Amino acid sequence: MSELVRLTDITKVYQGGITGALNGVSVTVERGEFTAIMGPSGSGKSTLLNLVAGLDRPTSGSVEVGGTDLGKLGEAGLARFRRDHIGFVFQFFHLLPNLTALENVLIPAQLKGTVVPGRARELLDLLGIKEVADKYPARLSGGQQQRVAIARALINNPTLLLADEPTGALDMHSGEQVMELLGRLHRDGQTILLVTHDAKLATRHAARVLSVLDGKIVDDARLESPERTASEVIRVRSEEASR
Amino acid sequence: MTAVIVKALADLRRRRLQAAVIFLTVLLASATGTMALTLSSQTRDPYQAAFEAQKGAHLQVLFKGTTDPQLLATTPALIGASSFGGPYPATDLQFKSGDRKFYMTTIGRDTAGGEVEVLNITSGRWARANDEIVLTRSFSELNHISVGDHVKVTSVRETPTLTVVGQVVDIDEGSADLSSQHAWILQAAVPALTTPASSTYVMDYRFPGDPTSAQLRGYVDQLRASLPAGSVTASVNYFTIRSAFNITNQIVTGVLTAFSIFALAATIAIVATLVTGIVISAYREIGIMKAVGFTPAGVVGVFALQIIIPALAACLLGIPAGTLASQPLLANSSHALGLAYVPTFSIGLDLVLLAAGLLVVSVAATLPALRAGLLKPITAITNATAPRTASGRRLRGSAARLRLPRPLILGFGDAFVRPLRAILTLVTVLLGVATVVVAVGLPRSFALINNSETGLGNYQVVVDRSGVYPDSEVMRILNSQPETTRVIALAGQTVTVPGLGDPVDTVVFRGDSSHFGLMVIAGRWFAAPGEVLAPRALLQDAHLKIGDSFTGSVDGQPLQLRVVGEVYAIDNFGHSLYTDLATMAAIKPAVEPFSYRVTLAPGSDVNAYVRRVAAAEPDLIDARASDTSIIGPVKIIDSVLLVLAVVLVLIGVGGVFNTLLLNTRERLHDTATLKALGMSPRQVMVMVAASAGLIALVGGLIALPFGLSLHHLLNDVISNSAGNDTPPGAYNVFNPLELLLILVLGVGVAVAAALLPGRWAARTNVVEVLHSE
Ligand SMILES: Nc1ncnc2c1ncn2[C@@H]1O[C@H](COP(=O)(O)OP(=O)(O)OP(=O)(O)O)[C@@H](O)[C@H]1O
Ligand SMILES: [Mg+2]
Repeated sequence: MSELVRLTDITKVYQGGITGALNGVSVTVERGEFTAIMGPSGSGKSTLLNLVAGLDRPTSGSVEVGGTDLGKLGEAGLARFRRDHIGFVFQFFHLLPNLTALENVLIPAQLKGTVVPGRARELLDLLGIKEVADKYPARLSGGQQQRVAIARALINNPTLLLADEPTGALDMHSGEQVMELLGRLHRDGQTILLVTHDAKLATRHAARVLSVLDGKIVDDARLESPERTASEVIRVRSEEASR
Repeated sequence: MTAVIVKALADLRRRRLQAAVIFLTVLLASATGTMALTLSSQTRDPYQAAFEAQKGAHLQVLFKGTTDPQLLATTPALIGASSFGGPYPATDLQFKSGDRKFYMTTIGRDTAGGEVEVLNITSGRWARANDEIVLTRSFSELNHISVGDHVKVTSVRETPTLTVVGQVVDIDEGSADLSSQHAWILQAAVPALTTPASSTYVMDYRFPGDPTSAQLRGYVDQLRASLPAGSVTASVNYFTIRSAFNITNQIVTGVLTAFSIFALAATIAIVATLVTGIVISAYREIGIMKAVGFTPAGVVGVFALQIIIPALAACLLGIPAGTLASQPLLANSSHALGLAYVPTFSIGLDLVLLAAGLLVVSVAATLPALRAGLLKPITAITNATAPRTASGRRLRGSAARLRLPRPLILGFGDAFVRPLRAILTLVTVLLGVATVVVAVGLPRSFALINNSETGLGNYQVVVDRSGVYPDSEVMRILNSQPETTRVIALAGQTVTVPGLGDPVDTVVFRGDSSHFGLMVIAGRWFAAPGEVLAPRALLQDAHLKIGDSFTGSVDGQPLQLRVVGEVYAIDNFGHSLYTDLATMAAIKPAVEPFSYRVTLAPGSDVNAYVRRVAAAEPDLIDARASDTSIIGPVKIIDSVLLVLAVVLVLIGVGGVFNTLLLNTRERLHDTATLKALGMSPRQVMVMVAASAGLIALVGGLIALPFGLSLHHLLNDVISNSAGNDTPPGAYNVFNPLELLLILVLGVGVAVAAALLPGRWAARTNVVEVLHSE
């Protein structure tokens, strides 16, 4: 396995923020890994993910993805980087409301200048929603919308799939289906970085759990066997609850 | 109430750019509107004032020189005139000043004052000796002649020299750039400066009250009936003079009024778009406002005030600016009337304009704001944004089929996502582009007409002879010049036409007059003796049409005439005739040409030719290069059009800019998503520019035919005001490539207007926008 993501001594202070959202985070992610990031609300999980996606820049420290130092890229370079290497799945789907499901899926490919309607349909089929291809997002259930968003994230064969609480806005059943899907993608070799609140969902599929607290990584658990280590993760969760 | 104002001011600060757009458009619209109204309210009054002050003649009549002056003195009583001037002996004088020679009806008159037609001396004094002459100021200024200059009379054999001793403003004639002029000498000086053929008497009449045009025509008929046949040779009523004075201002006022309405319409469209947009984007906020206790009226007030405040500021600046901008035009007309220029404005009118402007803006702002007032708080809070539709799908579909890049397709789709907004924006673009079309076209139509009247492309040299120098000698001189390829000679004759009170000035041609360059609107140029052409007004007033024959008369001698064509000619507001010298063959005394239009061989040196001809007979013939420059009044109209085009283009740009601001703000979230998916800043800008470009393209495509019809219409209105139909050539002054260029420029300007909103969209902070969900 080779290294895909390297964060070195990252701090992030938002404008107007008193304390940093991230305070000295260093971590690496290997290719093919399924990593879950957990932590209480406001701990900096989304911030971390956004930095890896090149959506935002750290206050200090460096982000390298696939050997590219994101700090060296301009705005256009970052856009190209996201288009070519990153698939992003959001909690609230963020589908474009005036485009059909299929059109939404095709957007990143079209921004790149490639035409792959065949692959888009294949993906929708793979994710079990080929029947919604020509519907508008407003007509879809949350679970369907999130699967469309996942298809959209996968259309350019990203090196890295980032998902920020993809189940957060879904009911339990849909949430499980989405996690099932991510697990399957991982087994097919997709590197995934997932932010979630749900320890059970995380530990069922992820092989590694990073725990974030107050902008620091406080725990990095590699789960040899998910059952055994689930309790460790739950310990972190209870700490969070007692705060 | 204070809460409403506080909230409105806070919102205004937040939407500074939109406030700026409103400010700019209302400023431009109110300034042009003020200009139009100030001009139209003021143009009539100064003439009327000067007319009263100078006891202007309601009617001036010219009588044949053989009429008994004793008899003429009885005419005022005959037609019930309350006062009169004359009979003044008069003569057609030709004189030379420097290298230039002028023709002028010169009137023998011993004083500038009197009961009628008081001449307002603006410099120098009245004539006291027989070798002194008084000119109009308008003529002197146009030709740079000053008091103290000498002029040499060339219409009599003795060629005496006269000294210019005074300049006057005469309320009973038009300005020198539009009308021929009068000059004055002492009565005792007249006989020595008169040739028998050019002797006339002039009578001025004033009537009680304000006689109508029909009454004045009746008086002339009465004179004609009671005096020996042929005694009345011409008459001028003060309506004609007044129109001649006001025509420039009237056209300018008409054009300004028409385009102010455009500016107003565009402003209303922008205001409505903006308020609708703000209401949509502030959907949730409206709910909150209502929840904390704003009444529906209060909510409407908050939105309307955001527009009314910048609009008020704009009016407060625009109305004085418009008043100020109309001053040069007013100063121009009061100068022509010999009145001292006093700044003309009416506080009352300005206040009415202010109130009207605010009312229009308020209505345009309040109607869309009502939607916010009527919104149920709970719907507003729960729907973060107003419901959106999947519109623009078909547009995107066809763009996609063209395999256009995705950012372009998305931009096209955005352009028409909100149909009402798109339509209102189209209106602003349409009005801007249409105005440009008119501003490009009308000056060309004017130039075309000007060229036909100044012989551009047809002849290069104009030669006039003195009455004492024979026609045959002039022809000999001209024909002996090697460059001369064609000479068209012109004579003048008045012809009585049945059904018309006044004898008609008739231009009589000798030579190949079909190359004279007058524009034939219908029918054809004359080809045989007896065939005539006339402008629309004459044909209409005499109930003639092409093909009709009629019997006219010259000094009582009958003349069989047939109308073969309609010609474009604005002299005497479309009352003139054009025919060949052969038509007059039987008339006694023989009609003789006095003016010559010479066509030179290509490549000839016009100035050398003129010098040579002038040298051949320095005093008795006047040779000059044909002056093809555009006359002053037309230049004024052209520049007003240019300013209007700039104003409406700016307003159009404001409209596009405003819509793009609203669109990009509303679509901030989508843009952030697209950026997260890898849309580059450049692609974001392309997307925004594409929607601007599409609106401009569609607006421009509608605007072109609209602008062309408007150009057509304005041509007709202007031709009509001078008693003519529009020559077909004046419509077709556009080249298709040019129209395409206007369209491309329109799209270019819209795309440029998209740069700023595009930059903002491109800089959207993805994290912040998506975070704030
Ligand atoms: N755009 C922003 N501007 C200012 N502060 C921000 C911004 N985004 C996040 N923060 C702050 O940074 C800190 C970390 O936020 P972040 O969104 O990364 O937390 P999180 O772990 O994703 O929380 P949650 O589980 O609630 O999504 C918080 O204190 C948050 O208030
Ligand atoms: Mg988060």
